[in-house]
Amino acid sequence: MAATSIFQGSGGAEARGARVVALPAMRPPFTAYLGMVVFLASWTMMFAGLLFGYGLVRSRAPVWPPLDQPPLPLLLPGLNTAVAAGSSAALLVALRSFRGGRARTGARALALAAALGAAFLALQARVWAALWADGLHLDTGPYASAFYALTGFHALHVLVGVASLAWLAARAARRAYGPDHHLPVRLWSMYWHFVGAVWLVIYLAVYVA
Amino acid sequence: MTSATAPALSAQPDLQPIHPAPRSVWRRYVFSEDHKVIARQFLWAGLIFLLLGGLLAMLIRWQWAYPGEKVPALLGGFLLRGSGGVIGPATYQTLFTSHGLIMIFFAITPVLIGAFGNFLIPLQIGARDMAFPKLNMLSFWTFALSQLLVLASFLARLGGGGAGWTTYPPLSTNVGTPGTGQTLIVAAIFVTGVATIMGSINYVTTVIRLRAPGMTYLRLPLAVWGLWLTAILNVLFVPVLGSAALLLLLDRSFGTQFFIAGAAAVRGGGDPILFQHLFWIFGHPEVYILILPAWGIVGDLLSFFARKPAYWYRGTVWAMVTVTVLSAVVYGHHMYVTGMNPLLGKGFMLLTLIISIPAMVLFLNWLLTLWQGSIRLTVPMLFALGMVFVFGLGGLTGLFLGDISLDLYLHDTMFVVGHFHFTMAAASFLGSFAALYFWFPKMFGKQLDQRLGQIHFWTSVVGITLVFAGQLLAGYAGQQRRLYDPFQYAFLAHLRGLNRWTSYFAFALFAGQMVFVYNWFRTVLGKGRAPGDNPWGVGTLEWTEAATPPAHHNFDVIPTVLRGPHEFGDPAVARAFGRDWIGQAERLPPDGGAAAPAKG
Repeated sequence: MAATSIFQGSGGAEARGARVVALPAMRPPFTAYLGMVVFLASWTMMFAGLLFGYGLVRSRAPVWPPLDQPPLPLLLPGLNTAVAAGSSAALLVALRSFRGGRARTGARALALAAALGAAFLALQARVWAALWADGLHLDTGPYASAFYALTGFHALHVLVGVASLAWLAARAARRAYGPDHHLPVRLWSMYWHFVGAVWLVIYLAVYVA
Repeated sequence: MTSATAPALSAQPDLQPIHPAPRSVWRRYVFSEDHKVIARQFLWAGLIFLLLGGLLAMLIRWQWAYPGEKVPALLGGFLLRGSGGVIGPATYQTLFTSHGLIMIFFAITPVLIGAFGNFLIPLQIGARDMAFPKLNMLSFWTFALSQLLVLASFLARLGGGGAGWTTYPPLSTNVGTPGTGQTLIVAAIFVTGVATIMGSINYVTTVIRLRAPGMTYLRLPLAVWGLWLTAILNVLFVPVLGSAALLLLLDRSFGTQFFIAGAAAVRGGGDPILFQHLFWIFGHPEVYILILPAWGIVGDLLSFFARKPAYWYRGTVWAMVTVTVLSAVVYGHHMYVTGMNPLLGKGFMLLTLIISIPAMVLFLNWLLTLWQGSIRLTVPMLFALGMVFVFGLGGLTGLFLGDISLDLYLHDTMFVVGHFHFTMAAASFLGSFAALYFWFPKMFGKQLDQRLGQIHFWTSVVGITLVFAGQLLAGYAGQQRRLYDPFQYAFLAHLRGLNRWTSYFAFALFAGQMVFVYNWFRTVLGKGRAPGDNPWGVGTLEWTEAATPPAHHNFDVIPTVLRGPHEFGDPAVARAFGRDWIGQAERLPPDGGAAAPAKG
């Protein structure tokens, strides 16, 4: 291996005494995990774009909320933040249970997480209905546009999450997941925590601030 | 095929599983998960749209040469029969809008990133396929759906999209373009964005996870570096375009008011400038998205055909990484005239001009790779050299536009059009064709006719230079872009001759592409000359370790990589094998090394 090389090019490594670096054996679960991280990074930018739009529109408005439009409620969305946190916590318990071989607890926790997700959507629907009745419609200006677009787009993500968690719960009830096979639960957990974190940002930026 | 490779696969149980070879025609050619098949699907889809985009460009050029006159031949009579063969103002809007969008998102992106990203990444890093083959298949079919949306936009009520490729509001809202065509084309942007993100997640993950043993980051071919950095930019910035498209669709279809302002807005209204922010946060990385793969490919090809290692490989890599990072923080230079804070403008100007430093490192490395090389002027090499030339021209004109005081004059003129056609259109076009002529034998197991390739090259590079130089001149003389009939304005009337000549060169450029179309169909459909496994004599894995065309599983045994991609002219290799190149995973016989003198 003492091949000499007169180059300063990319082959320098061999000239400096061939160092062959072996990668660890391919671990498909880690590859899937990494793919999910990349996907969530991408989706973070999507929500960042939407929130940037919200911030710009809001900073240009003389009064926020506009005087003739209803202010956003704090209580119900606050409760919803707790519901989202509870759902994420249930999912943490589920994943830990599968890892520890407690499949029955895991299945129950998954079902609870899905149910709390559905409750989140129901509460969000109540918030929308109340504001709609107060005259806040999609076409009543940028205030309404930003509110409905952000919460609506987020709710779509919750919907996808609830459907998937329900599906996972149904599979878990049939003992599909165990200590060495729970990759789908792990990946959907990452998604679900992400959706929860986005909600926290939306709650703080749109409802509270 | 599966049974034949089973022993080889089971010898390495922990290295890279592969999905079973498809058995039905349906799974093999249509919903295939094989990255090589998906690459060819992207190539076909992209080349067809490249032709369509070129055709639209010819109609635009006709309008600028002979405004309001009948388009000759079949085109006018058939496509424009509603208006008696004349390009009307609304049709003209659709022409330049669709030309831009088709070329960027539906022609260059699928060819350069979709086809060569898919084909090269697994083969050049020593992987059996992408990390997520199903996602890869989904990416192509989502992309195909977006192409259908583009085609549908042409047929929509009230005409196709007409707000320019940048789809700025208020022109792109219902106020400016009430037709369904604009909605469809914005939806197409969103859908193609989703397809791009799917593909890019695959590329990013695959390069990180599936490199063969010994394939360190600094042994990756430059093409893989370019494609990988592009994928990272795609993953992070295409979603921002997605958010802009989403808000625009909401404005168009659901009555929200993000971008509608002024008299059209009911209550206060939103801000059209918001769209420009979101668009260019994506849009500036996008121009590097389109050029980085071409940079990487050309960096490799220059070394391959100068029979010399790439000069300062690490410097090239770091220059590309630096450009990638900087590309994310310069978008404001597209918005100097939107009334931004002058201090902010200066910041963007500084960052923009700083990009020319890594770009210059890159450029000098290319030139020094050629310096004293044994240059082989093959067709891919010609295209690579052409890319260096037009990118140089485009880069220099970028300095004018990056400077605020000059940009105030040049903004929205044909100078901008000439600049970005030199950089992201011509350079990525020539880079794509360099790649196509180079890897065609590996993709199809045949060789394109080289003489026709040379004709294609010379018409392309001469045509491109003259056409876009004509645009630069017209812009410098003050001609605004997108004017339906520029010569109705007294101060532009004297530019009729310049525009007419530019159009003649454009027609010649298009005619030259027909040579390629002929060459392509003749070779793909015909028998073609079967090239050897390594017709160019280079050392990267796809040429040295895989068959031509590669088997379903790419490599019988995952190669162990020993060296970088550009090892040329090593005397020890010449003694041992009698050639000037060595494969990245090829072992030198022990005595070959021992016989070598201590210092080359």
